[in-house]
Amino acid sequence: MSHQSTQQQRIEALRDLLGAANVLIDQQSLTHFGTDWTRYYTPAPLAIVFPTCIADVQALVIYAAEHSLALVPSGGRTGLSAGAVATDGELVVCLDKLNTIDAFNPVDGTLRCGAGVTTGEIQSFAEREGLYYPVDFASSGSSQIGGNVATNAGGIKVVRYGMTREWIAGLKVVTGTGELLDLNRGLVKNNAGYDLRHLVIGSEGTLGIVVEVTVRLVNPPAPHSVMLMACPSMPAIIEVLKAARSTLTLNAFEFFSDKALDKVCEATGWQRPVQVESPFYALLEFEQSDADAAQNLYAAVASQHWASDAVMSQSIGQAQQLWAFRERISEIISHWVPYKSDISSVISKLPDMLAAIDEIVGRAYPEFEIVWFGHIGDGNVHLNVLKPEALDIQTFSERCGEVNTWVSEVVREYGGSVSAEHGIGLLKKSVLPYSVSPAELAIMRGIKASFDPHGIMNPGKIFD
Amino acid sequence: MKVLVAVKRVVDYNVKVRAKADGSDVDLNNVKMSINPFCEIAVEEAVRLKEAGTATEVIAVSIGDKACQEQIRTALALGADRGIQVETEGSVEPLVVAKLLKGVVEKEQPQLVILGKQSIDGDNNQTGQMLGALTNMPQGTFASEIAVDGDKLSVTREVDGGLQTLSLNMPAIVTSDLRLNEPRYASLPNIMKAKKKPLDVYSPADLGVEVTTHLTQVSVEPPAERQAGIKVESVDELVDKLKNEAKVI
Ligand SMILES: Cc1cc2nc3c(=O)[nH]c(=O)nc-3n(C[C@H](O)[C@H](O)[C@H](O)COP(=O)(O)OP(=O)(O)OC[C@H]3O[C@@H](n4cnc5c(N)ncnc54)[C@H](O)[C@@H]3O)c2cc1C
Repeated sequence: MSHQSTQQQRIEALRDLLGAANVLIDQQSLTHFGTDWTRYYTPAPLAIVFPTCIADVQALVIYAAEHSLALVPSGGRTGLSAGAVATDGELVVCLDKLNTIDAFNPVDGTLRCGAGVTTGEIQSFAEREGLYYPVDFASSGSSQIGGNVATNAGGIKVVRYGMTREWIAGLKVVTGTGELLDLNRGLVKNNAGYDLRHLVIGSEGTLGIVVEVTVRLVNPPAPHSVMLMACPSMPAIIEVLKAARSTLTLNAFEFFSDKALDKVCEATGWQRPVQVESPFYALLEFEQSDADAAQNLYAAVASQHWASDAVMSQSIGQAQQLWAFRERISEIISHWVPYKSDISSVISKLPDMLAAIDEIVGRAYPEFEIVWFGHIGDGNVHLNVLKPEALDIQTFSERCGEVNTWVSEVVREYGGSVSAEHGIGLLKKSVLPYSVSPAELAIMRGIKASFDPHGIMNPGKIFD
Repeated sequence: MKVLVAVKRVVDYNVKVRAKADGSDVDLNNVKMSINPFCEIAVEEAVRLKEAGTATEVIAVSIGDKACQEQIRTALALGADRGIQVETEGSVEPLVVAKLLKGVVEKEQPQLVILGKQSIDGDNNQTGQMLGALTNMPQGTFASEIAVDGDKLSVTREVDGGLQTLSLNMPAIVTSDLRLNEPRYASLPNIMKAKKKPLDVYSPADLGVEVTTHLTQVSVEPPAERQAGIKVESVDELVDKLKNEAKVI
């Protein structure tokens, strides 16, 4: 049978399985749903399917297993490592229609919802109940809880609340054989064997499709203030961090470079928030009751010349506006198709590691614009190299890839991670060995084979 | 030229307020309190006058319990020179506030008093006007631009369908609208300096004012919940629903 008629048959079969309205094959949809926030790959999926219930997902997986059809789970497609990119005739499984917020349990403080519910919807739901879902970042309006689970998303409140992993009380997952696993079921304590839930969290769709998630909600934090501090160098920011960690109840500790601020002000027309121009800025969020402690902190770090100026929000509106300078960076610099490194180390090694990387970057990219920002309070920074308009994407990506290898070597030397929160996907496969030993990789392959014996779950992502 | 600015401590503009369970008032427990946004604009304007060399001293006054000193300190951090708190308890009606401010005006003899056009909690939009009546000073309300020229003050006002410009003899009263300016951030060095600036506390009795109440708040309730929207399948269905259910066409 010709390739084309096989394809046609498969699409017919999928239509029978899910209903014709839930199978899209027009070019626009293939391009739109076949890729994530990265722009280095050309999407070429077979079709996009929209299961509307868990049974649909199981039926799909069984069909895919029988026909050796590769599946790419797709959430909000805000991922930054091309985990949700389909380049090779895969079937994109879009979880958008598993979007019910099922059950809020006030006794357990948990919320059960479909994998396709957005992070923002969970945050709003929690707020309406007088509660709080603490995982937050600039893409939370579009990213889905299933995608957050699959990437173990971090974000801007990790200093205080940890990563997505901390907030997942239960998961329903369809494995590569179509089996439905009901993992942990909301339990606080459960030592009955291996905790498979934690294997699925961060597995980037390679072990199974997350179909339902139970998250924990907490009481909202006390009113907060935001301080934006002008700092002369990255080591100075680390000194501020050390001092802040011992004196304030921090909700967040972020940083960005002057180039980042420049790009944001240029794109938005906003006034610079601090009078003094400075190579770096630290953004601290803390409980408002610590406002006096924050002033003392500033006085102390200013006297050491670790900060040259700072402003503090006097209202929620100002706090939001100060955050906007940090949160808009990703979106605004996406115009220059940035080559992103998402690296981390323990805080104690961070100054030396960043100094070493800064040196490499300065040497390797004399003519490229570099934008630094990130969650430095967690030991996590994002290094972004902006593509000059004139350079084609291929050449740019190759040049950056080479330098990224050097960066990864430094990261290995300091025992850090080449992917702090964005995952590996397609984009970072080549650097995975810098953070994972051959023995670890072999075990990962074994785990994948147990969940997905037919190799249909997002194949080619994380490792080949 | 001395400028007096009034600042009020209110529930933050971005807080989604809830009614207390017994419906007696808004629940302010664990809620962020800030300077009223219009008052913040008033402070910014006064500070700009000082920076331009037009004003020589900016005094921030707030009426309320001890907690409102926090907002006076904010005004001082933004650039006011000294603060005055008139200590009161509970909520105070606009007329009483205006009488207390009149007391402060008599003590301080400012050339210009800037207030917010209204505070976002009570939404009364009365205090500036009442102060004008009580002090017999000319008033320019809803100002979007002001300019001092000798002992005259030009005030551009936002009125329905356009702008109106008034010329007032000083001493005068101005209430600020949203577009008068964009307030700055308080810098840490200035926040720290603000701690050392003088802040005097008066009682209403010091100003010869008796605090009286004319109003009783009967109840506070949240607005009716909006019903969830529905998706219609066709234009015909939409028209049908607008006609027969919503009865708007
Ligand atoms: C402006 C911006 C800011 C960001 N900031 C942060 C940040 O601060 N911290 C951070 O961690 N990330 C950040 N990200 C990255 C991204 O938003 C997160 O990784 C997010 O969790 C991805 O969710 P998603 O639903 O968009 O997933 P997608 O991009 O759709 O998918 C991500 C991966 O998960 C898999 N997947 C998706 N849904 C499922 C499912 N139901 N079952 C199994 N696998 C699934 C996909 O196959 C893919 O491998 C940012 C992205 C943008 C664009």
